[in-house]
Amino acid sequence: MQLVDDADGALDSWARFCDLSDELFGGAGDLSAGPRLAPVVADLCARGLAELLRDQFIRSLEGIFRSNAVKKFWQQFHPYCNSSAVERIKFCVQENWPEDILSKALEDICLEKNYQEKCVLALVHSLQSYEDRSPHRKSKALDCSSSLMPRYQLMVSSVLLTTLPLSFPEILNVYFKKKLEELNIMMAGLDGSDPFDNHDLFERNSTSAWHSEMDIDGQEPGISESRNLVKNIGKVVRDLRYLGFTSMTEDSYSSAIIWLLKSKVHELAGDDYRIPVLGCVKKWIQAVPLKFLHALLTYLGDSLDNESGSSGLKSPLASRPSSFPGIGVPSEALVRWHMRLEYFAYETLQDLRIGKLFEIIVDYPESSPAIEDLKQCLEYTGQHSKLVDSFISSLRYRLLTAGASTNDILHQYVSTIKALRTIDPTGVFLEAVGEPIRDYLRGRKDTIKCIVTMLTDGSGGNANGTGNAGDNLLEELNRDAENQENVDYDDHTNIDEKQAWLNAESWEPDPVEADPLKGSRNRRKIDILGLIVSIIGSKDQLVNEYRVMLAEKLLNKSDFDIDSDIRTLELLKIHFGESSMQKCEIMLNDLIDSKRTNSNIKTSLSKTSQTVGTVQEETELSHEVLDATIISSNFWPPIQTEDLTVPASVDQLLSDYAKRFHQIKTPRKLLWKKNLGTVKLELQFEDRSMQFTVAPVHAAIIMQFQEKPSWTSKTLATAIGVPVDSLNRKISFWTSKGVLTESVGPDADDPTFTVVDSTSDFNKNSTVNQLSERFQITEEEGESSIASVEEQLRKEMTVYEMFCIAEPSYDKSLQQLQSFLSGLVSDEKLEMRDGSYLLRK
Amino acid sequence: MKVKILQWHSVASWTWDAQDETCGICRMAFDGCCPDCKFPGDDCPLIWGSCNHAFHLHCILKWGRKLHLVHVVLSRVQAPGSLATVGKSRDLPFYMAPNFR
Repeated sequence: MQLVDDADGALDSWARFCDLSDELFGGAGDLSAGPRLAPVVADLCARGLAELLRDQFIRSLEGIFRSNAVKKFWQQFHPYCNSSAVERIKFCVQENWPEDILSKALEDICLEKNYQEKCVLALVHSLQSYEDRSPHRKSKALDCSSSLMPRYQLMVSSVLLTTLPLSFPEILNVYFKKKLEELNIMMAGLDGSDPFDNHDLFERNSTSAWHSEMDIDGQEPGISESRNLVKNIGKVVRDLRYLGFTSMTEDSYSSAIIWLLKSKVHELAGDDYRIPVLGCVKKWIQAVPLKFLHALLTYLGDSLDNESGSSGLKSPLASRPSSFPGIGVPSEALVRWHMRLEYFAYETLQDLRIGKLFEIIVDYPESSPAIEDLKQCLEYTGQHSKLVDSFISSLRYRLLTAGASTNDILHQYVSTIKALRTIDPTGVFLEAVGEPIRDYLRGRKDTIKCIVTMLTDGSGGNANGTGNAGDNLLEELNRDAENQENVDYDDHTNIDEKQAWLNAESWEPDPVEADPLKGSRNRRKIDILGLIVSIIGSKDQLVNEYRVMLAEKLLNKSDFDIDSDIRTLELLKIHFGESSMQKCEIMLNDLIDSKRTNSNIKTSLSKTSQTVGTVQEETELSHEVLDATIISSNFWPPIQTEDLTVPASVDQLLSDYAKRFHQIKTPRKLLWKKNLGTVKLELQFEDRSMQFTVAPVHAAIIMQFQEKPSWTSKTLATAIGVPVDSLNRKISFWTSKGVLTESVGPDADDPTFTVVDSTSDFNKNSTVNQLSERFQITEEEGESSIASVEEQLRKEMTVYEMFCIAEPSYDKSLQQLQSFLSGLVSDEKLEMRDGSYLLRK
Repeated sequence: MKVKILQWHSVASWTWDAQDETCGICRMAFDGCCPDCKFPGDDCPLIWGSCNHAFHLHCILKWGRKLHLVHVVLSRVQAPGSLATVGKSRDLPFYMAPNFR
């Protein structure tokens, strides 16, 4: 009976409890049912039904929450979630989307939750009042009352998370991106003034009054605007957290910040390598995202919590001395954010720069700010290996190909060395990067020649000629070397114990990527010249090539001006040692001696000729026209000598000269190398004159036509003492200039050459109609006196190029084409029949 | 047509014209220089003994000093062309080995 009574009572109480809770839930803000709940709850608890009661309460709350708030909440986002990817973009473009929907929906659901929380609190109070009265059961009921709220929170977030549409994070992301972008634009507009300066405003208001109006107190509208913006974002974040989306929210806004940072870095960095970017990025990080985060964190009350809680347990990260202007002592969360953002900025910029490293190095040294940025980034991230891998692959793809000229590769190599030397003074990465280039260059035949040219030519280390004229790579290297030496010198003189200790302290190990087999960096001072020489293998080869080139250059000189060569030689001596440059020095010395001897002989010759009289001056040449370079042949590279019979008048000059030399320098004798040297001459026609600078053989040929206007090639060859085929090759110079014409006589192998004397004749054969024209043949046209395989190859190459390359439009004049074709004819590659050129089979 | 030569810049090499190729003392080429010299030509002249052998001047001086040859015949140097080459060294006493190999 007792049992039945009990059961009835329990059922009664249960029913009343259910009624009351329904009344409470449906009360629409009316919590009057709360106090009436207490006796019922106490009764049920006394019967040991506390847990059942709690579960029932939560379950009914869940039902209501699910059917009312959650459904409504998600419905707001349905249009977006149900649309296709294309339509979603349209949503994103809308101005106030998802801002309006999101804040509205959040407000609604938060209100609902807020109300339900009050209901929960009512039950908690009832439970607590019961507990207070019955101490012996305290433990169990207390359990119920204190776990009620957390259980409710858990229920809310689990309901929301289980019903979460997949694209909700996306919406959040779009929201934060849009807001941050808005903020960024606002900040860019402000630029300088500090909207978050009086940040304590947020702290003051953070606890409750987030609806309160901002006090604008006469500040710029932009500032209060941006502060309002942060406040709105803060509100959304708060609501989201309130609903249990804490981590999702954090994910969203951090990814939005990162995204913004990334686009900012890309925007700032761009393709301009001439300005440093890192400073701007850092400044921007402090100006926009950090200020935003600070405002947000303060608004949410996080920074206060952290500051009070973590003062004793400071993370090592926070010990970094970082205080932000206008923020004061930063909270730990903010410091972490700061580091995170900076690291990300470094990484982004680094990736961007590494991807473009090839272009950056092409632009070096204009691009050195970019290199400096990259260096700082790498110091932070330590991802040097990324640089090496990516750069090597772009080298292989873009530089080490058949299409790149050896010169370009070498220039890029030098720039690479210089650039990487800035990034990594230890040279470890340079070694890795340089190896493929060196390997590749070793496979090219003209490498040595190009290196020598690069070292000694006026345009020097800069292919585009932007450097100072006359400033070659060697001079630059020398300057570098001097600077380095000065530094070294300082090191040694000031070394006392203290300094030694400081040096020892500042010692840094090689990077981990260093190859232990290659020695430590003390032994590995970066020496550009050494690196270049290491391409070839030994300096002897380089010196030898230089000697050959120098010889050719000196022999083709028509004056004795060798100042720049002396300077170059002095520089080479510094790098390669005096003894290896000995022969080159003798060569230059020969030129100096020649100049002296030459003037000596000429003055004494002119004296004697004056005494002899001026009878023969009309026909004979004056001694003034003859200059001679007198060489110590043992020290020059082997010189190609060919027989050549010069005209008698010139021959007379030469022998007079030699005789005079023998008198002055007894018992030394002169041996003429008649095919070498240069001749400046003027061709005087009836109505015009032309000046040329040619090789002696060309002069000898044309001078023969003074006696007789027409020669067959065989007789002419005998007259000037050269083989016929060689003559045919040489004479094409004159036919190409339109001075001689070639006509095939009875014997096909023995064409006749006739001088084109008058303009009318001349016009028939050539389109040249200027009366006087000045031709200057370049070294390419003149026959090279030094045998060089590369030279030969290069010549062939230019011939082939003229056949192959059609891309740059043909810009040569008709005469140039004619000269080229007649060159081919004389090389027996083409033949000319009836005025048209045919390929010779 | 007339050709007017404005400048004829030719190239020549010089030689001592010493019948022999190399100096008997240093075994270096006559047209080169002795081991102690840097530049050939004026800086490192030749000398002809009465035996008609040529040597680098510096070589023979060194050789003479080394052997303290006081009993050798003092011979006046006979240079084929005299003057320029020998001019500087004309008044120096030369100790020449009588039968220098």
